[in-house]
Amino acid sequence: MSAASHAAGCGVVLGIVLVIFFQQVGSLDLSDLVPALEWLILGAVIGGVLGAGIGWALGRNYLSRQAVLEATPPK
Amino acid sequence: MVHSPAFRALRMHSARRRVGTLATIFAIAVVALLANVPATARASPTFRASSAQPEAGAAYVVTWNGVDVSTAGTPSSALSIDFSQTASLNFNWSTGASAPVNISDARLQMYYFGFAVSTKDQVVSNSVACSSKCHIPLDWTPLSINYVLEGVYRLTASFIAPNGTTMWSENFYVKGNAPLGFVALIPIVLLLIAIYEVYGLVRSGRYAALGRKPSAPTSGTPPQVPPEAPSAPAETPAPAAAPTPEETPAAPDEGLPPSGGSS
Repeated sequence: MSAASHAAGCGVVLGIVLVIFFQQVGSLDLSDLVPALEWLILGAVIGGVLGAGIGWALGRNYLSRQAVLEATPPK
Repeated sequence: MVHSPAFRALRMHSARRRVGTLATIFAIAVVALLANVPATARASPTFRASSAQPEAGAAYVVTWNGVDVSTAGTPSSALSIDFSQTASLNFNWSTGASAPVNISDARLQMYYFGFAVSTKDQVVSNSVACSSKCHIPLDWTPLSINYVLEGVYRLTASFIAPNGTTMWSENFYVKGNAPLGFVALIPIVLLLIAIYEVYGLVRSGRYAALGRKPSAPTSGTPPQVPPEAPSAPAETPAPAAAPTPEETPAAPDEGLPPSGGSS
């Protein structure tokens, strides 16, 4: 599994949890079905996109560092 | 029909891409659909009772522990309440010079995700028409699951006539404080477990697909496991003890050494 897809999954979960957390602290109203679903989907989508981006960047960073380490001859 | 491993890997890769594309299209379609719900429909859901005055001059007031609930019409102005304590509501109405109104039921409903998670009715038996200083008291203890209900909720107070029609209703918001705040995290934990289970189901299918995929060692790196032993007769004894050269059967048609040995 790639770092981007793994981080996207984490971001989706965190986005949904954040929406419910905002409802619990009183910043968001989830009493009606349609706005509540909209908020949850919005949180999931934003979290997934952000997570995928972060995971992709971290994966590239890791791979570039690994390439440098492998190219460096052992002392 | 037997396909080569490369063909199977290619087909699996294309199938995975297709699933990803379909998932993306589905997500975009859902978001577009929800974004295109008419604003009027979102602003006034069908279950939201109307606050229209059925008769001119009639006045309806609901108080929550002495506070008029009309002052808590938005989530930001929600009444801060303790879910572990009983709330005293008073449903008052007066018709003034108009004809008296017969209210047989004072109803309080609490909504979450569009569903009434709690309904409290105070039914008046043998109700009579009333025109001034009419009131119905209602004591409400939120829910038996009040420990997990911390948050902002919309409540609806309604006056119900004997024929079942809603004479008047008002929406207001309460900010409930759970007796133990940290226990209110239980819904989040349950949601996380549910999502993880679905995720695990999806991953299990992927792992099964990967299990069928032939493992190809990368070039330049030595294999982690010893190479597969050449086909040996079925009666080859297990290497519990070091076999003598006479006991070790030779490969039938290849002169390769046994697994792990050196040539």
